[in-house]
Amino acid sequence: MLNISARIRAALAALGLAMLAMPCAQAQEITVWSHWAAEAVKRGYVEEAAKRFEASRPGVKVKITWYEKTALYAALRTALRAGQAPDVFYAEPDQTDYIDNGFLADLSSGLNWGNIEPWAKTAWTVGRGTYGFPLEASTVELYYNRKLLEELGVKLPPNGQLEQGAFLDLVKKAKARGITPMSQGVGDRPFPGAYVTHEVLLKKLGTKEYDDLLRGKLSWNDKRVVEALQFVKQLVDAGAFPASFTSLKLGESHTYFHTNPGALMFQMGSWYTSRAFNPTDKGGQPAGFPLGIMQMPAMTGGACNQCKTMAVGGSFVVNAASPRKEVAIALLNSMATPEMGNKWLENVLVQTGIKTDASKVSGPHADYFKQLARANEGNTYYFGMPIQVMQGKPKEVFTQVINNAFPAGSIGIDDVVKQMNAAK
Amino acid sequence: MSLNRALQTPWRAVTVFLLPALTIYVALTAYPVARTLWNSFHKVLPKREEFVGLANYAELVQDEIFWRAVKNTLIWSCTSPLFEVSIALVLSLALYAKVPGARFFRIAWFTPVLMSYIVVGIIWVWIYNYDWGAANQMLRAVGLESWVMPWLGKPTTALPALIFITTWMWTGFNMVVLLAALHSLPSEVIEAAELDNCGWWSKTIFVILPMIRATVLNLIVLSFVGKMKIFDLVWITTKGGPLWSTETVSTYVYKRAFEWSTFDLGYPSAVASVWFVIVLGSVLALTWAFHQREKLEY
Amino acid sequence: MERLKQVVLLTFLCIYTAFAAGPFVWVAIMSLRTTTEISRNHYGLPEMFHWEKFPDAWFNSNYNIYFTNSALVVFSAVVILTLIGAMAAHCFARYRFRLNRLLYFVIFSTIIFPPQITVIALFQILVQYGLYNSLFGLTLVYVAFQLPITIYILETFFARIPNDLFEAARMDGYSEWAIFWRVSLPIALPALATTIILNTILLWNEFLYAVVLITDEDKRTLPLGIQRFMGDQLEDIGMIATGLMIAIIPVVAIYAFFSERLIQGMTAGAVK
Repeated sequence: MLNISARIRAALAALGLAMLAMPCAQAQEITVWSHWAAEAVKRGYVEEAAKRFEASRPGVKVKITWYEKTALYAALRTALRAGQAPDVFYAEPDQTDYIDNGFLADLSSGLNWGNIEPWAKTAWTVGRGTYGFPLEASTVELYYNRKLLEELGVKLPPNGQLEQGAFLDLVKKAKARGITPMSQGVGDRPFPGAYVTHEVLLKKLGTKEYDDLLRGKLSWNDKRVVEALQFVKQLVDAGAFPASFTSLKLGESHTYFHTNPGALMFQMGSWYTSRAFNPTDKGGQPAGFPLGIMQMPAMTGGACNQCKTMAVGGSFVVNAASPRKEVAIALLNSMATPEMGNKWLENVLVQTGIKTDASKVSGPHADYFKQLARANEGNTYYFGMPIQVMQGKPKEVFTQVINNAFPAGSIGIDDVVKQMNAAK
Repeated sequence: MSLNRALQTPWRAVTVFLLPALTIYVALTAYPVARTLWNSFHKVLPKREEFVGLANYAELVQDEIFWRAVKNTLIWSCTSPLFEVSIALVLSLALYAKVPGARFFRIAWFTPVLMSYIVVGIIWVWIYNYDWGAANQMLRAVGLESWVMPWLGKPTTALPALIFITTWMWTGFNMVVLLAALHSLPSEVIEAAELDNCGWWSKTIFVILPMIRATVLNLIVLSFVGKMKIFDLVWITTKGGPLWSTETVSTYVYKRAFEWSTFDLGYPSAVASVWFVIVLGSVLALTWAFHQREKLEY
Repeated sequence: MERLKQVVLLTFLCIYTAFAAGPFVWVAIMSLRTTTEISRNHYGLPEMFHWEKFPDAWFNSNYNIYFTNSALVVFSAVVILTLIGAMAAHCFARYRFRLNRLLYFVIFSTIIFPPQITVIALFQILVQYGLYNSLFGLTLVYVAFQLPITIYILETFFARIPNDLFEAARMDGYSEWAIFWRVSLPIALPALATTIILNTILLWNEFLYAVVLITDEDKRTLPLGIQRFMGDQLEDIGMIATGLMIAIIPVVAIYAFFSERLIQGMTAGAVK
């Protein structure tokens, strides 16, 4: 008996020593799970950043698995609970439940926040910690086909913004010519259908009251809210959206706009380009497509007609349970430099939370970027998409009602007001 | 001597035979049910569990989405058997006489049932496609343009569209079962009825139907229970939308457990527990109702 | 008049058959066309038979992995199910003991349980025992899932075997296990075949447990894998159709081969 236990003790001791020695000798692998499987330019950016990081840290390998968003979220939800989550993963600021359950590492001391825009940092700050690296930011833009607009004989004012009535007329004109006025599809995402409504509401209410509305402090019965909804209803009734609105997928809505059958306008996050500038057989827009950017219409009696939504989008977070936290945070930090920020701008053509120097942007798409910058001149921003600000039941009802049923024309304004108020 | 042997229960053998099955059953069926009930009285987060008493159930009573899901599922479970079994009954009676090429037809009608709900869902999403789906194309071809609509996209048509799919799947199955039942009926009784100069109609109602009663009732219960459990089909087609018109209790449980931005498993466990009681209750009620009718006959 | 009735009947039969089998035929045709061809005409016949799509899906899109996983899990589960199900059914049918009917009823009643009542807790249990995201864990769950119906079908059959056979065997000095193995099982071969086919078909198509309990790409089973081509860009209808065929063909083949046996078995349970 004694012999056996002595032998066991010796074996354990040897094993222990071996294990101590291991981390130094072995290469470290950082696992990353990310969205953007279908967006080549963003993948390129992240993979490039990973390569640079590997070069700067010999012995470290970065393994990235690319997912499509819904699949990623489902996998993470169960993997986190099972303790099998990767070191770094993609997240968006609306996922406060990760933070509430202690799954994310606090990045406040690890990242170089001097290189990051303050509003981007706020998006990820909860309590006393900041939990995400805000890589992608985007605004909600209204893209349009310049050629079709010309054919319809409508000229935009210099600031690119039509009045409410003129916009409705434009929609009716396009419809009369057999052109779908606005491409949009909510088949596989909980936000695109809501763009038109929440941008109109934002302009009508201004940032403070719009925020109140989203947080349940302002009733949906408010006169201005109802007027805004009435305008949207007029658009819907005039046939602004495609008939296949409810089943059209996000990727399909892009091609609906620029390739087949072609629509006049397309309201989308400014990350539109990360799909549009792909090669055409991967869903990109045709070469030489006459892309224009206009503003959502000015609302009559609107409190803030130059208001627009800007939101932090794709970000990266670190798994709090990761044994390689410091290395993971260092990986993210390697992207928090003005150089990487500009690289993002030039290649991905979407805004970023990293502080950048817009004047230094060059490259093949610099023209588009100038166009985007012009379209954002003089804008006041409200930071956050509705589904990032709302949680739980209000978020679910918002998704079903404002994103889906209302723009599809399935319910009327009274129903919308009733359901949104009931869900507060 | 054989009597003695029969009375001796060989406990060792019984244990050996039953143990593996019982172990798996207890570990992966009975225990999870108990655990779900336990969960329903707690807030179950990844790193801690908090006893909340009846709070989840209180929230459940107020939850409109839950009650909508219950309504949808019950509508589905009650209407499906009506369609699937009655159509199958009518057809199999009509075919009872002669069925040329029986084996080929049986295989063809059975095919929908062999495909997983996922496959069926994908195919029917294509069929219901607004622009080029077979459903709308056929309507356009016969000039019924005004009936063309996004079947799975409108709250009023989504659930009926799904019910149509399950009817398509299961009617063939029911037909095959009923035909087998019909063919196994004792021919003497049918011949006797013919000798008695029963008309075709009364022969069917008063002679044949009562004899296959048990089969028909079984099929109804089977169909009912099957629709109470349904998940895959809804998940792959509408995910419960639009506007919760196809939300079923199973999709709602899944969403609350794995999709809503909360890690709490307590509330969906409460939903599952309540649903469990409802399902058991309905099945018991159904079988009781059918047995009562049977008892009245004798 | 007879003639007319026959013609009407036959026409009706053909229409219904087209309705029932039509979608399947349509997918089969689409699986041999490319997505571009399909977009031009959704209901046309293949101009060229693109047989290469099948190897393409198999080797380049992980279908071989999904198929293997499904085959592995289903095969193991069905083997275990048949064995322990038969053992339990034999026991319930042939031996009289106090708890017999009670235990049988408890197990039988779980046939109507909705899976939702167990899926959440199964998730927690598998995570706790480190079986989450493993094919082994999924196999065990599948065994538990199909056990009640297997025992039910087999018990009905075993109960019908005349007692004299067992008496004779006992007098010949067979042990209880030998009686099971050499007397019950061979006679029950038809019922066993039925349960094997039934379980294979049901587990091959199972989705809910697979989607909750498996997340790794390389452990996915076929129902999960089918969604691989459903990216959010243009829907790759051609490849999805090919993938669907890979999922359907094994089941249809098993069915066509065993159809008579299967129908007998399934209807034996439903027909009283």
